[in-house]
Amino acid sequence: MENILLRNRTIPEIGTFETYLEHGGWEAFKKAFSMSPDEVIQEVLNSNLRGRGGAGFSTGRKWSFIPKDAERKYVVVNADESEPGTFKDRELLEFNAQQVIEGAMIAAYAIQATAVYIYFRGEFWDIAHNFEQEIAKAREANLIGQNILGGDWSCEFYTHLGAGAYICGEESAMLNSLQGLLGQPRVKPPFPVMKGGGLYYEPTVVNNVETLANVPWIIVNGADAYRAIGTPESPGPKIFCLSGHIAKAGNYEIPLGTTFRELLYDLAGGPQHEGKGFKALLPSGASGPVIPLTEDMMDTPMTYESLVELGSVLGSASFIVMEEGTDMVWAAYKMAQFFKHESCGKCTPCREGTYWLNQLMTRIISGQGTMRDLEILENAATQMQGKSLCALGEFATSPILGTLKHYRAEFEAYVNGEKQKELPASKTVAVAH
Amino acid sequence: MSEVTIYIDGQEYRVPANTNLVDVAKFYADNDIPVFCYHPKMAPVGMCRMCLVKMGSVEKNRETGEVVTDENGNPKIRWFPKLQTACTQTVYDGLAIITNSEEVQVARDDIIEFILTSHPLDCPICDKGGECPLQNLTMRHGPGQSVFYYEDKMHLDKHVPLGELIYLDRERCIQCARCTRFCDELVGDDVLAFHERGRRLQIVTISDPPFDTKFSGNTTDICPVGALTTADFRFGARPWELKEVPSLDPYGPEGANISLSTRLDRDAGGRIVIKRVMPRQNEYVNEIWISDKTRFGHHHTRSDERLTKPLIRQNGQLAEASWEEAYQVITDRLRAAKSLGVIAGPNQSNEDLWELKQLASHVENHHLGVFPATMSGGDIVNTVGVGVGTNFLDLKKGDVIVVVASDLEEEAPIWYLRTKVARDRGVKLVLLNARPTKLSKYAKYNLTYAYGDAVSAINSLISAVIGAGKINDEILSRVDGYDELAKSVKKPAYTNFTEAAEAIGDAQNMIVLAGSEGLTLAQQRELMQACANLLIVTGHVGRPNNGLIPVWHGANIQGAYDLGFTAEATEAIYQESLDVVLVAGCNPVGEVVEAEALQNANFVVVTSLFETETTAIADVVLPRQSFAERDGTFTSGERRVQRFYTAQGVIGESLPDWRIFAEIHYRLGGPKPKLSAGAVMAEINKAVPSYAEMRYKKLAEMPRQFPDVGGEDLYYGGTAYQNRGGIGQQTPTVAEDPEARLSVRPVEAMTPKFDGLVVIPTTLLYDRGVLFRRSTLMHQRIPAPHIVINPEDAEAQGITDGDTVAIVVEGHRYEVQVKIDKTLPRGAVLMPRRLSNRPDPSVPTVLESIEKIVQPVPVTEG
Ligand SMILES: Cc1cc2nc3c(=O)[nH]c(=O)nc-3n(C[C@H](O)[C@H](O)[C@H](O)COP(=O)(O)O)c2cc1C
Ligand code: SF4
Ligand code: SF4
Ligand code: FES
Repeated sequence: MENILLRNRTIPEIGTFETYLEHGGWEAFKKAFSMSPDEVIQEVLNSNLRGRGGAGFSTGRKWSFIPKDAERKYVVVNADESEPGTFKDRELLEFNAQQVIEGAMIAAYAIQATAVYIYFRGEFWDIAHNFEQEIAKAREANLIGQNILGGDWSCEFYTHLGAGAYICGEESAMLNSLQGLLGQPRVKPPFPVMKGGGLYYEPTVVNNVETLANVPWIIVNGADAYRAIGTPESPGPKIFCLSGHIAKAGNYEIPLGTTFRELLYDLAGGPQHEGKGFKALLPSGASGPVIPLTEDMMDTPMTYESLVELGSVLGSASFIVMEEGTDMVWAAYKMAQFFKHESCGKCTPCREGTYWLNQLMTRIISGQGTMRDLEILENAATQMQGKSLCALGEFATSPILGTLKHYRAEFEAYVNGEKQKELPASKTVAVAH
Repeated sequence: MSEVTIYIDGQEYRVPANTNLVDVAKFYADNDIPVFCYHPKMAPVGMCRMCLVKMGSVEKNRETGEVVTDENGNPKIRWFPKLQTACTQTVYDGLAIITNSEEVQVARDDIIEFILTSHPLDCPICDKGGECPLQNLTMRHGPGQSVFYYEDKMHLDKHVPLGELIYLDRERCIQCARCTRFCDELVGDDVLAFHERGRRLQIVTISDPPFDTKFSGNTTDICPVGALTTADFRFGARPWELKEVPSLDPYGPEGANISLSTRLDRDAGGRIVIKRVMPRQNEYVNEIWISDKTRFGHHHTRSDERLTKPLIRQNGQLAEASWEEAYQVITDRLRAAKSLGVIAGPNQSNEDLWELKQLASHVENHHLGVFPATMSGGDIVNTVGVGVGTNFLDLKKGDVIVVVASDLEEEAPIWYLRTKVARDRGVKLVLLNARPTKLSKYAKYNLTYAYGDAVSAINSLISAVIGAGKINDEILSRVDGYDELAKSVKKPAYTNFTEAAEAIGDAQNMIVLAGSEGLTLAQQRELMQACANLLIVTGHVGRPNNGLIPVWHGANIQGAYDLGFTAEATEAIYQESLDVVLVAGCNPVGEVVEAEALQNANFVVVTSLFETETTAIADVVLPRQSFAERDGTFTSGERRVQRFYTAQGVIGESLPDWRIFAEIHYRLGGPKPKLSAGAVMAEINKAVPSYAEMRYKKLAEMPRQFPDVGGEDLYYGGTAYQNRGGIGQQTPTVAEDPEARLSVRPVEAMTPKFDGLVVIPTTLLYDRGVLFRRSTLMHQRIPAPHIVINPEDAEAQGITDGDTVAIVVEGHRYEVQVKIDKTLPRGAVLMPRRLSNRPDPSVPTVLESIEKIVQPVPVTEG
């Protein structure tokens, strides 16, 4: 299948304005511009495009929620990409920038936004720099800025760099951060699309980079053609980020509904080390439960729904693959550390819970844990569930609960004194008895 | 207010629409949903997750809108799968919650357990212990034993000064953000913030000087744990040892309700003393807020320098004497007196003033003056003051607040706060002033006039209101003098006030706060009349939330006017050579240059707490009692008569002023002194019509207040907000009587013409007044004597920021520092009052000379 998203794989330099134009670039925007904003929203709605940032919410519906009468409205492009094991947006931003810009401008047109902001993770410094140059070229061509294409509508496009917080990928924390406030999530409702909930408290569409990269194709080829790709509930192409114990790590653009086998074996060449089988999969970076990667599930099509059935989530489709012999307790420990480090601290269960889980995991991994610690670990994680202000607090429980569910014996080996790891002094915790 | 039906634990309640679920559950269902981060005075943030409840909505038939019921006739409810935070929920018709299920109980236990994982629970040494929401909730929901390892707890700094007034204990902080939200959302002072994230999240001060707000103490009240404590009280006493005595702020015109936390104190020689000052909830007056002056300015009550015995001048020296001896000397003089001037201080209670007036009436030629004499028009306030039932909290979108000639944050911080918060709710703020103040950034309209020209500005506003066709025709039928007024404002001095005038004309409700900055007394009186004119012709009188509020410089100036004292009389006393002068509880000689004339009186009697420049010229000095040792009433600028109660033991032989005056009067043939302040008020009730209803019992009435912030449970405040002293009562205005005629009259601007620089006296919250300077804790906040000047004027005078200069005003020389402020208009030199121990000019006066005497020390490299 031809690439719809990672067109840079076949067309070098497509990220530049000139090359992009040569390959039909901005035709989608011009087509959208000839339609009414509502028609554009309807088309995207019909395509059943679902958000690629993790939650899988219908993009067309999100756009349709924006109140028409609002004086100021914004589109914010979520380019914070901080999920462990996720690097799909990065490739799009680095090598196919114009498609992201065009997608964002179509979204802006559809909701008649007054400005577009793109929020890059801090490390995307050079990408942001290049992006600005590409934006400038589009502006020069009157595709961005004042009286776009000679019409009444004007819309600026701004870039912004984050400062290194995972939580700023969460949309409302991102809006706070953009406003110069502390990067902590807001209470919802009001949701960003509503008055009072968005950027500067005005109605705002927040979309992921990959989501928006789908939009030009949908406008040019129509919703029906788009829905022909993938499954009815999960249509369209999706970039899967493969990392870990896999022969050929990297981004794979494939239709949703492709089976695990096709991706992991046919495309990515199976486990990293010969003679070893797969053991486990984190399908959504650190933010979804780990699932055993078994032969039975290999022919299951990968969709938003099927991963829920398997006890996890598709999320951003950042597959961290683990082969036989991987120490699952160690993996869980690393994730506990991650969440402790990234909790914003705004709400009690996550701020205290992630700290506590990390203390317990540290104790266990260093061989000082007891069976009681295991029990407390499970209780503490369960105690956090369903109580946090934002999804991060929920995410933080899944590495623990998911791993305990499937690999309890490995934990027991640690608390029974069969196993232990030397930790650097800075990472150890006090031991109580 | 429209009502909705909600269901709490299966019970049906009718409650006001658009109110917060937690407040409603507490008030109407007596159901205390535990909270930490939620505070009824601030927007919810849903941070602590303590308030989780099961939540759902009643199913309604889509066509009929009727509630769908199950087989038992109970409404069918669709529940959310997860628990929801109650604090972020506004009530709506059909809202249902469950608070008593096991699921909810477990969730509460869980959150408490999480909080306790990093809380030290050092209640035995914590100031909050005994009145701490966390302690209470731990008792209710906390696990008997923690499964969290004690050694795993984070240990953090326990004495972090956030400035010199407030300390942070980082271990105790539960990151609820009440303190930061109070400062930046309510007050508008961006002084506290969170730093870092996750478990490292911590409160820091981000201002220089640190924690730079006049309201810092309030954060210690709303902090739901003992993380914030005041330098004044920390480690001073345990809450259960304290007796709370209802009282009033002795400084400001707002009438802030306070509670004096008192205790028998070993360090005070076994006397009962004030250990701390807390706000007392009065939703009409100060809600639950007080300024740091009110909170930390109480030390004069037990200062070692207090006068303890009467003093009589003998051979030029003041010597201790008995009360009888003092009475004897005074009565001898008064019997023979041909003329008498009395000057009543700013916190003479109504009872004091009444007895003072009775005493003065013994001398036919007498003047009843009030101090400070910066402002006039108490009679005008009694005509067009704010209507009975006024509450800033009721002002909303479509309403207007006008502030004229006042720097409200300095002169009346509670009104500043309430005005600012009203503006956040959509009230339009119209500011008229000669210079920008802190309130300016919140104003919809900043109307600037030249110093001294406030009356023209109001006249121009009236002119613009007429021009915009926004005169209230209905009211004109009961107004006299409208035509002359309309004619007099035909040629407005300021022609750019149209938009503000339209906002005023369209306002549902309008309150005007009138001050005195840059005005002589005569001009100020005209300003009060001009404001009355504006209020009357726009129909904003005679009903709640409409009318005039005077920004008096003192706690009971309104009461003084109500009982016949005026600032004009004070001026007369300065000017006329009077036989006897009686100064009650103030220090004119030390504060205003005009009062030097009091030395010319033949005989001067002073009641005072301390030795002052005024007692230094007295023939007899009588030790009065502070507000804490006695009871009485003050009348606020909103004309709310409120009681304060006896809190501490008597210092020395001091007596309440009313008693002193009654004893003297009795010896002159007056009636026997009353036995209590209440009995004096009963006299006032009979004699003064507007005070007929102001009976002590009525003033002590305590209706239930919404939201319920104090009381037995301590979830909200965790402090002694509870009001047991009553919310007081407003005196009625003339305009409230629909039969009464109202008159407007043309007022003249009388704008003076000055050549060169003019010294404008201003009033700051923190000064070296006789009482406030005893609170040494606050000394860092009291600025050095200084002038504020525009940079161009400064350059022309060859002076720069930080210089020390000698200025001469009306022959008086002052050494002051120079502060440059580019927002100040040219020609004006601000000189804040009462910063030095020298009397200040009290009205705008030409600056005779200015001369640099010390260069700022240059910063040297290396
Ligand atoms: C803790 C957390 C981190 C997130 N990080 C990202 C991110 O890095 N990039 C992203 O696009 N969405 C992220 N999201 C999801 C966003 O909140 C939001 O749902 C998304 O940007 C919406 O765009 P979409 O509808 O196009 O997916 C994160 C959510 C959470 C709770
Ligand atoms: S769940 Fe964690 S990241 Fe989200 S608001 Fe709460 S503390 Fe912050
Ligand atoms: S110091 Fe007190 S009020 Fe401020 S965040 Fe901490 S616990 Fe809350
Ligand atoms: S989350 Fe509701 S009180 Fe804190």
